[in-house]
Amino acid sequence: MIHFEGVTKTYPNQSRPALESVDLDVEKGEFVFLVGPSGSGKSTFLRLILREERPTAGRIYVAGRDLARLSTWKVPQLRRRIGCVFQDFRLLPGKSVYQNIAFALEVIGKPRRFIRKVVPEVIDLVGLEGKADRMPDELSGGEQQRVAMARAFVNRPMILLADEPTGNIDPATSIGIMKVLDRINRTGTTVVMATHDAAIVDSMRKRVIELEYGKVVRDQSRGVYGQAY
Amino acid sequence: MRAQFVFGEVWVGLRRNLTMTAALVVVVAISLSLLGTGLLFVKQVDHTRSLWQSRVQISIYLCDQTPLSTQCAKNGPVTAAEKAQISHVLTALNQVVHVTYLSQQQDYQQFRQEMAGFPALIANTPPADIPASFQVRLKNAQADAAPVAAAVAGMPGVDSVVDDSAILTKFYKLLGGARDAVIVTAIILIVAAILLVANTIRLSAFNRRRETAIMRLVGASNFYVQLPFLVEGMIAGLCGWLIATGLLIGARAGLDGLQQYFPFPITLSTLDLAQVVTITMLIALVLCGTTSFLTLRRYLRV
Ligand SMILES: Nc1ncnc2c1ncn2[C@@H]1O[C@H](COP(=O)(O)OP(=O)(O)OP(=O)(O)O)[C@@H](O)[C@H]1O
Ligand SMILES: [Mg+2]
Repeated sequence: MIHFEGVTKTYPNQSRPALESVDLDVEKGEFVFLVGPSGSGKSTFLRLILREERPTAGRIYVAGRDLARLSTWKVPQLRRRIGCVFQDFRLLPGKSVYQNIAFALEVIGKPRRFIRKVVPEVIDLVGLEGKADRMPDELSGGEQQRVAMARAFVNRPMILLADEPTGNIDPATSIGIMKVLDRINRTGTTVVMATHDAAIVDSMRKRVIELEYGKVVRDQSRGVYGQAY
Repeated sequence: MRAQFVFGEVWVGLRRNLTMTAALVVVVAISLSLLGTGLLFVKQVDHTRSLWQSRVQISIYLCDQTPLSTQCAKNGPVTAAEKAQISHVLTALNQVVHVTYLSQQQDYQQFRQEMAGFPALIANTPPADIPASFQVRLKNAQADAAPVAAAVAGMPGVDSVVDDSAILTKFYKLLGGARDAVIVTAIILIVAAILLVANTIRLSAFNRRRETAIMRLVGASNFYVQLPFLVEGMIAGLCGWLIATGLLIGARAGLDGLQQYFPFPITLSTLDLAQVVTITMLIALVLCGTTSFLTLRRYLRV
């Protein structure tokens, strides 16, 4: 599903690469934690999959497609197959829960009837029944992140990328968020989640890829956050 | 394509950006109406020119009791023999289509007709001031005037030779100058309008950066991301154009109102106005569309 081949990324005017000769494979339906200290290249890894950045060297394949050979006007097609959630939710403050989720479908030209059918379904999936008409500022952080997950998942992507989705949320609420991610993963969606949250990684027992200074230093199935402890 | 969605976004964009949009509408309106006025001017000048082209002639005024030239003052009023001689020379020239002799009375009558709009001028001009003349119509008013004038100038009995087209040329120079000034101002304003469109779109893109960031993230096509901004620019342009159209209809009425001061028709047809209004609309659309598009390419990269 995701295939990195000797990928190096050096940002302009930077001496040290943010990612260095990364080789790895993520299979369809996998759940992967991406861990490592701040600045180790986790977000860079996710941005490369989205083709928000392009590698300095190496090849990246997503769903069998070589991203280097993907023309600019086809990038939106790629992104429709990938959902994204972030630490800061990125909801539109002027739109309700329902409108925020529907927006993701409207802007890719989905018919209204389809939107009316799938948006309530996905609101139920993330556990926001009865809150469709709330505005973002009437929701807790955990609920806002659920809206963001619903928006990322509503178009049934093959891959869900989550960059520290529990970074702004207390541990108790985070468990709920992880349950939703797990539910999404069980529908066959590949999930890649960058995180600093040791408790979550340890409790889930999924594959763990650890980065340090842009290099993969550990790749372990059913791993924990840090080996040292 | 979901039109309702696009127009919803456009509406939000226009509202959030109200002051900039208003400024843009005003500048587009002013620049287009000035440009349109310039174009109306051009049309009017063309009309009167072609009208006069068929009418201009050379007037050869003959010596009478109140001569202008020293030659007449010396030789006295024109004699019948001199008249015959002048007429003979004129008809022999092959640039000449037609020669008409106007007696002093006939000439005075024609003068009164042409200057009907200026009663004071008629009152101050005694019939004796208007001499008898030969009115010569030429094959080609522009080219033939000089040789024909030269052929008769200085002949006994000729007081002065007046080439109508020479007077008209001066008149058109004046009109042309005014027209050029209007058009240059319009072009400067259009440059201002282009800068304003670019700025408005940039501000609009900044105001809606959250929306566009999410649109790009969920895989909206470039076209979909940019369309609301393009439509926004075009709508502002069209609003400006509508106001300009109103002003142009007023300007045409103003030009028509000047008719009473001219002894020849200068009114513009509705077709002329429609043409100018269509041209300004196309300019508004192209100007706003292209500028928005180019601005967006800089600020909304994938
Ligand atoms: N747009 C950019 N331009 C230049 N350098 C960048 C850019 N983005 C990231 N970097 C650098 O690349 C390195 C990796 O950054 P990245 O954001 O991938 O780290 P991270 O693992 O996500 O960190 P964190 O856990 O703090 O989110 C850092 O040294 C960072 O300074
Ligand atoms: Mg990061």
